[in-house]
This record gives sequence, C-alpha cells and structure tokens, in this order.
Amino acid sequence: MEALKVEGLCKNFGGVSAVSNVSLSITVGERLAIIGPNGAGKTTLFNLVNGQLSATAGRIYFFEEDVTDLPTYRRAHLGQARAFQIISLLQRMTVLDNALVTLHGTRPSRFEMFRYVREFRNVFDLAAETLKALDLWERRDEPVEHLGYGEQRRLEIGLGLAMKPKLLLLDEPSAGLTKEESADIINIIKKLGQEITVLVVDHDMGMVFELAERIIVLHYGQIIADGTPEEIQADQRVREIYMGIEE
Amino acid sequence: MEAAEQQTERGRWKAGVPYLVGALILIIPPLFLSSYGQGIMTRFLILALFAMSYNIVFGYAGLLSLGHAAFFGAGGYMVAILKLHYDVNLFWIAAPLGMLVATLTAALFGLVALRAVGIYFLLVTFALGQMMYALAWNVKWLSSAGMNGITGINLPDLAIPGFMLNTTSLYYMVFIFFAISFLLLYRLVYSPYGLAVQGIREDETRMQAVGYNTWLYKYITFVITGAFAGMAGVLFSYYNFFVSPKHLSVVTSFLPMVMCIMGGLGTFVGPIIGAAVFIFVEHFSSIYFPERWPLVLGGVFVLTIMFAREGIGVYLWRLWRKLNYQYGSVKG
Amino acid sequence: MDWFVINMLNGISYGMVLFLIASGMSIILGAMGVANLAHGVIYMFGAYIGWTVAVKWNASFLLAFLAGGFSAGLVGLVIERGLLRHLYKQLNEQVLLTFGFVYIMGNLCLWIWGGLPKMPFTAKFMDGSFEIMGRVYPKARVSVILISLILAIVLWWLQDRTRMGAIVRAGMDDKETAMGLGINLQRAFAIIFFIGSFIAGAAGVIGAQLLGVHTELGFDVLLLALIVVIVGGVGSVQGALLGGVLIGVIDAFGRAVVPQLAMFTMYFTMIVVLIIRPQGLLGRKI
Repeated sequence: MEALKVEGLCKNFGGVSAVSNVSLSITVGERLAIIGPNGAGKTTLFNLVNGQLSATAGRIYFFEEDVTDLPTYRRAHLGQARAFQIISLLQRMTVLDNALVTLHGTRPSRFEMFRYVREFRNVFDLAAETLKALDLWERRDEPVEHLGYGEQRRLEIGLGLAMKPKLLLLDEPSAGLTKEESADIINIIKKLGQEITVLVVDHDMGMVFELAERIIVLHYGQIIADGTPEEIQADQRVREIYMGIEE
Repeated sequence: MEAAEQQTERGRWKAGVPYLVGALILIIPPLFLSSYGQGIMTRFLILALFAMSYNIVFGYAGLLSLGHAAFFGAGGYMVAILKLHYDVNLFWIAAPLGMLVATLTAALFGLVALRAVGIYFLLVTFALGQMMYALAWNVKWLSSAGMNGITGINLPDLAIPGFMLNTTSLYYMVFIFFAISFLLLYRLVYSPYGLAVQGIREDETRMQAVGYNTWLYKYITFVITGAFAGMAGVLFSYYNFFVSPKHLSVVTSFLPMVMCIMGGLGTFVGPIIGAAVFIFVEHFSSIYFPERWPLVLGGVFVLTIMFAREGIGVYLWRLWRKLNYQYGSVKG
Repeated sequence: MDWFVINMLNGISYGMVLFLIASGMSIILGAMGVANLAHGVIYMFGAYIGWTVAVKWNASFLLAFLAGGFSAGLVGLVIERGLLRHLYKQLNEQVLLTFGFVYIMGNLCLWIWGGLPKMPFTAKFMDGSFEIMGRVYPKARVSVILISLILAIVLWWLQDRTRMGAIVRAGMDDKETAMGLGINLQRAFAIIFFIGSFIAGAAGVIGAQLLGVHTELGFDVLLLALIVVIVGGVGSVQGALLGGVLIGVIDAFGRAVVPQLAMFTMYFTMIVVLIIRPQGLLGRKI
C-alpha cells in the first residue's frame, strides 16, 4: 500500500502557480526527502498534504483514502503528524501542558469537560515518558518560550512522534539548529521503525543525504527529478539548479 | 498562565486556602450588613458570574466578543416576559427557561459570528448584540405598557412551603448559584477541553494539526458561556425587578470585559476581583460624581490597559504564590 | 415612478452619509488592523464642533465642516500618538482602548454640550427644497449626495493614485517589508489615523442634516459604521461606498414598504452577507 499518493496536484495563488501538476507516491516506511530552491513550492506541497491549503486541482490519497477535501484535524486522526517550518508549539504554555494537549488531540477524552486533565493517567504517563525520553521532564513546568530553539524543535518532533503517526511530515527540521542539534534530530529519525513513513523537506544536504532513501527535486512547483541520492547527485539539471551542493 | 495542579495532597490543600477564605468572606460578613449592603453584594456576585462567563470566552478562548449582554439580557427578559404576560413567578420554571433562551441565542449567534475571522468577530458580535437591543426597544410585546423595558418582576417563588425570599436570602440564593457556577467553570478550565480551548487561543493552526476541530471548540465554548451569562441575567432580573433594552446592548456587554481586564485576563479569579473593583468604583462614583460615571469608568479602563495590563488579580495571585514558595512548597 | 425616485434619493443620501462614516473606519482598519471603536464618538465630536461653529457662532458651513474635521482629526491623533502607539502589535488591547474612549468622549460631549439634542443644521445655500418629479424634496439631501461624491473621488484618488495611498496598501499587506523598505510606518500610522478621524468629524458635520446631533450618536454611528464595513468589506473606498449605498437603499425601501421591520433591514443584510461572503462584498479573501 502507498502511504501517500498525490495525483496532478496544483495550487494557484491568483496568477501564480505554486505547485504545478505534481504527482508522486510514497510507500509505507519509506524515507523521502523533497528538496529545491526557495520558492519551489515545498512548503506549499506540505500545506496541501496536511490540509492547511486546499488544492486548486488534483487529488491526495492517504493510505488509499481520498483526503483532498478533508480538514486538517481529520488528517491528524488518520495518522498525519507535522512539524512546521516555524516552530509551532504553544509558547506561553508549559512544556507539560503542550505535551498533554498534543496527546489528547486524537483521543476521545479531548472533549472531557469535567475531570481534571491530569486525572487521565494514560495520557499523563505517555506525556511523562515522552518528555523523559526527550530529556525535558525536569523543565516540564516552564513555559516553552524559555526553552532554547534546539530544545523546542526536539520537543515539537518528539511530540509529533508520540502521536504515533503513520506519516511524519518534517518541514525544515534543521533550520536554526546547530550541527549537534541537527545530528540529534537525525538520530531520532534514524531510530524510527518501518511503520512510520517520513517525508522531509530541508535545505541541509547533509541531513537529506543521511536520511533519505529517495529524493524528489522541486523547481517552480514542478518535479524535475526523482530518484535515489546517488541518482540525484549525478543529475545534470539538479546540479545546474544547485550550484555548489555539499556532499 | 497558570501551571495547574499540584501533585501532592498537601499541595492541593494549600492551593485551596485562598478559595476557602474567599468563600468565607462571601458567606459570613453579609449576615451583618444592612439591606442596602446586601443588595450591593448581590449585585457584585451577579456581575462576577457574568464576568466569569465572559472570561471563558474572552480570556481562555481568546474570542473578543462585544455582544455578551445579548445572552445576559435574554435570560433576564425571559424571566420578565414570563411574569408580565403569563404571571409566572415560580423560579423552577422561569430560571431554566431563561437559561434555555440565553443558550439558544448563543447557539444562533455563534453560527453567524464564527463565520467572521479575526477582528470581524468583534464587529459582528457587536452588531448582533445591538440587534437584540433594537428588538427589545421596538417590539411592543417586549415591554410593559407605556415604557421601554419590563417592570413588576418580584422576588421569585421557590415553592418551599412557608418560605418567602427576602433581601438576605436572595443574596444567599445568588451565592449558591455563583458557587456552583464557579465550581463547574473551574472544572471546565482545567479539563482536557479547557486546555484545548487555551491551545486554540494560542495557535489554532497547530491545534488543528494535532487533531482538534477548532471551530467546534470555539462554538461550544461560545454557547456554554452564553448559558452562564443567561443565568446571571436571570438572577439579575430578580435582583433588579426591572429589565430594560440597555441590558442587551453593548453598554452592558462592556461591563464583563472591563471587569476581566481590570481583574486579570485569563486567570480564573480575575473576573471576580475585577467585579469587586468595578462595584467599588461605581459605588464611589455614584456618591461623589454620578454624572461623570462613564468618564471615570472609561478612564480607569484606559489606565488599566496602558499600565496594568495583567490586572490587579494577577498581582495578588503572584503575591500568594510568592508567599507559598517562602513558607512551604507548593509543588510536592 | 416618483415614489421610486424619492425613495431612491432618500436611500442614496443616507447611504452616502453611511459611506462617509464607514470610510474613515475602514481605512484605519485596513491599514493598521485596528478597529477604532471610538470612531462613533469622534464623529459625534465633529458634529458638535460643527454645530458650535455653524449655529452658535453663525459662521459659514464650510468653516464648520473644516473645524469639525480638524478637531476630530486632532482627537484621533492624540489617541494614536499618545496611547495606541505604545501598544504596537497588540491588536486586542488597541481595540479595547478605543472602546474606553467611547465612554470618555461620550461623557465629555455630554458635559460640554448638555443632554438636549441639537437641531439638524445645514448651509445657507442648501436650505429649502426644490421639485423633483412633482414632489418637494429637500436640497440638503441632494447636496449631501454631491458633497459625498466629491469626497469619495478625493479619497479614491488618495488611495489609488498617491504615494501615501500606496504606502497604506503596502502596509496592509506586509508591515515588515514596508518598514524594511524604509517607509516610516509610525508616521504613516499617525497620518492615517488623523485622516480617518478627520473624515469622521467632517462626516459628522455633513451628516448632522440627516442624523442630527445628540449624545447617543457615539454608539449609533459606530454600529452603522461596523455594519457597512462588514457588508462592504474592509480597506477600500469602493467597499465602504458599496456597503453604505446598499444599506442606505435597502433601508429606505424597507421603511417605505414594511415600516415595522425598518430597523432590522440592515441587520438582515449583514447576516446574509456574512453567510454568503464573510469577508464582505468587496473585501479581500482572508
């Protein structure tokens, strides 16, 4: 089964075509990276897959279900988890509250209006476990805005994983991170099992080549190359676009 | 923002002390006050309830509504209409119906108002509130003969044999409803639902991405707060013996907003403190310069926004937490 | 036929006043994202000043017009420079602050001019009436339409054809970039607020012929402005014009056909627009 299949996807803003007739598919467990120059349409593509934007044309299938017209929150329930380009944690709320709120998102208990949130032991324990694994348990009562950027990124991705998603969408996870922090993230992703499919957009070629089994190159909203890291490195058009790729 | 529960039993008890003290202040002194004083306390609790309901939609959900009085007034008007046209004085009929009308109004308004995003929401709620005001002003059936508004509301019949309400017992009846609402809203705020509502206020896009139907949360919150505002309105009509169109309009919608801001937005007890400050300033002003009351209110409000954004309530809360850290651990 | 024309004229003249009222608010809202809830009391203040100049001092209507506009503009400037500027980027607080001013200015006007409403006043040359299709029709209403049209053209020219207009539109779209390009956004905001308030005050003087001068104007006019903005859409002169005229005409015919429901036609219009097109008829999709 394909984790994600996109057919003829287009997104126009006024006269500008941000994503133009994109078709691709990802098999379950695959690690796919999408690269391309700025403005190539990578984040737009993410927004279409995750539901923040609606497509002008084309269809999106998530585990063979047509999600093209589904709102974002339904896609989360179907198994999508996303890290945003600009970290999107609830800055003024505590680390623990962020964890609790994220983990309740796909559970029926999210509509509970009467019992205290911490009475839900299963969620609380899962939050504690996650925070401890991320080395953030000690800081659970601090507002997220007190955390360093790298810690926040780690938290955001860690919480996304705690949602036990089927598809993890990472939008420029290495942006703003130091080399150590990036390596940290790479390790977290490498340890993931085959039941999670990973789709990454990034500019850090080191990270991309380490993680990806397959790379797609976007340029002006269109796919211009699709293959293994070696094939992409050798591709003439890609080299033209990216002068001076680090290897 | 408050970090919620403490883990230990002892911690929980300690955190409960200010609430206990507050409750005692509200229960014991009024016994010794004059009728007039009890009346002020009753008014205070009703406004505090109104403000608490508004605090949920504004402070916790982040929805700046300027039409909240529509629900307050709807509750009050229902009680008044039942008395005026159907001679219903029984609390157990009038009050639930009043709350029902308020809730339905909120349910309808919510559908229209939530179509508007951002600043439009404010404009729309304002307009919807004014529409209710226009209705009450123009529809003859909604007024006693020859005036605007409905008079002749009495203290309600509680159907308890041999028991008639008076000023004192009305106060305690209002207190009971206030306390029940306090407890219910407290649980709401600290429940998973309440946490989600705050999250939606902070970052709606993220909340959608983790699985929340944010529109539904906003809508349900809007309706729930309408119900509690309606309860305040019901109690108000029994206290005031009179409802007028202005109880539906923006001049009344403004009050809970002022109280929440003065007391500390987004804290749980902020609205109560704000209501206390409001009652105090209103009382003071009515004695010394009654004509200039709106000017004073506007001035205090502007000053609060400019210089004490977090509200008086937050200063007091911070003080309490500081004392706790010094004299014993709050967190186990 | 004459029934139709008369009501049409009524609707358009009222709609033009609505346009004037709403345009000031729409400009500020569109350029700065601030809903200036004090807009109604600024209008009222301008109307009172205009009355003082035109009626109490018996000066020319033009002078009253300018005095009303300038004094209103000054009030707006004071609010923006003195207070709003310090709440930069806190939209909720800014809006609430302007609402506080509704009470302050409202009570001040009551204090200064007293609680009795003032009679509608107009310029000498606009007094009286003339015949349209065999019916007598007040000159004042027609002149309101003409003056408003002139103002509409001036505003449109400012919006589309001047550098200031371009700055405003740029600021609406992307504040950071506009600032990055060296545009003095702070000064632009002050100017915008002044202009928006000037228009409100001037509208107060012109609109006095139709709406009178009294202490309830603060809320009444605010409500009208908001409804016009909701219906017509934010940020453009065209939007305010379309919204204003539409509501004015619907209101006029509503009063003529179903007088009992006259008050509510504008609410119906607003609700319908909200359901079909939440950003307003000419508003940009958010």
